[in-house]
Amino acid sequence: MSAQPGMSILVVDDFSTMRRIIKGLLGDLGFSNVTEADDGLTALPLLKAGNFDLLITDWNMPGMQGVELLRQVRADERLKKLPVLMLTAEAKRDQIVEAAQAGVNGYVIKPFTAATLKEKIDKIFGKPSAAA
Amino acid sequence: MPATADECRQWVEAMHAALALEDEQAFAAALQGFNALQDSTVMTHVRKVTVDLQTALEQFRSDSRLIDLAERQVPDARARLAHVLKLTDEAAHHTMDLVDQCCPLVDTLSQEAARLQPLLQREPGASESLRAAVDAHLTQSAAHLKTVRTRLADVLLAQGYQDLSGQIIRSVMKLVDELEVALGDLVSIGRLGSDGDLERPVAAPGAQGPVVPGVEHGDTVGGQDDIDAMLSGLGM
Repeated sequence: MSAQPGMSILVVDDFSTMRRIIKGLLGDLGFSNVTEADDGLTALPLLKAGNFDLLITDWNMPGMQGVELLRQVRADERLKKLPVLMLTAEAKRDQIVEAAQAGVNGYVIKPFTAATLKEKIDKIFGKPSAAA
Repeated sequence: MPATADECRQWVEAMHAALALEDEQAFAAALQGFNALQDSTVMTHVRKVTVDLQTALEQFRSDSRLIDLAERQVPDARARLAHVLKLTDEAAHHTMDLVDQCCPLVDTLSQEAARLQPLLQREPGASESLRAAVDAHLTQSAAHLKTVRTRLADVLLAQGYQDLSGQIIRSVMKLVDELEVALGDLVSIGRLGSDGDLERPVAAPGAQGPVVPGVEHGDTVGGQDDIDAMLSGLGM
């Protein structure tokens, strides 16, 4: 599928400031159907109950961390194809390999720019990006 | 008192003499005397270590600085860090509230400039010089408002410092927690185990938080380009 303005996005981050920033940037990109969760434990039931088109998650969170949420998503029959974008400050090479092996679709390092966020979403949904 | 060289020599010579005379009883008595000297030396050392330990424990108990650290200052440090976290969170949200208030105003002004410009061109009553001046103003307004809108988005994005600094503060708070438990244990030992049943917090494995200059993080990437190249190498 391509990125539609009405697509449903779940943003998972334990910092409410970062959730608000991502939500604001997504709004500027035309995506207004955004739901928030503050860690993997609260995100997973929302994902299972809802019909999301994209998951944007932090890594370092209390409760369930982002990479574990990614594994749970990939292990769920109904969710396993859900595009997942990791948006995190975790910068170790081992962690990026770990996320890739767990099946992440994109990895954005904090601090990030609006252009990078747009580029990665475009890439996930197969749209050629002007910034690429 | 430790055994002196003279005392040792005295017993060794007695053993030597007993051997020369093949007097087993005398040799055994001399050997026993020599061993007793060694035992008394060990006992002297044990007594000294015991006294030193006792003195150290007494000093430890009377060291109010350590107790103050464990019971007041370390918990205070954690409370201060939590307060910094709260202040930065409130400041970032306040800034974003202001941005949220400004964005619709900028959008309205942009739309209004775009709506008025063609109307002005068709307005028959306006003088040419006024029309040109207002037209230039509307053109400039539209350009400046577009820049302001972009800068407001940048201000929003800049509030990400709160997440990054917050993650670092939380990791320091975790260290402070562990320090508090360790100090509590030490103080409890000083009080001969009166209250040492604090639980150690369990560190969450995996996540490290943002890279902090001067702190060892292992093999990290240099930025987004580095990650893109890595993931591309992994076939993504």
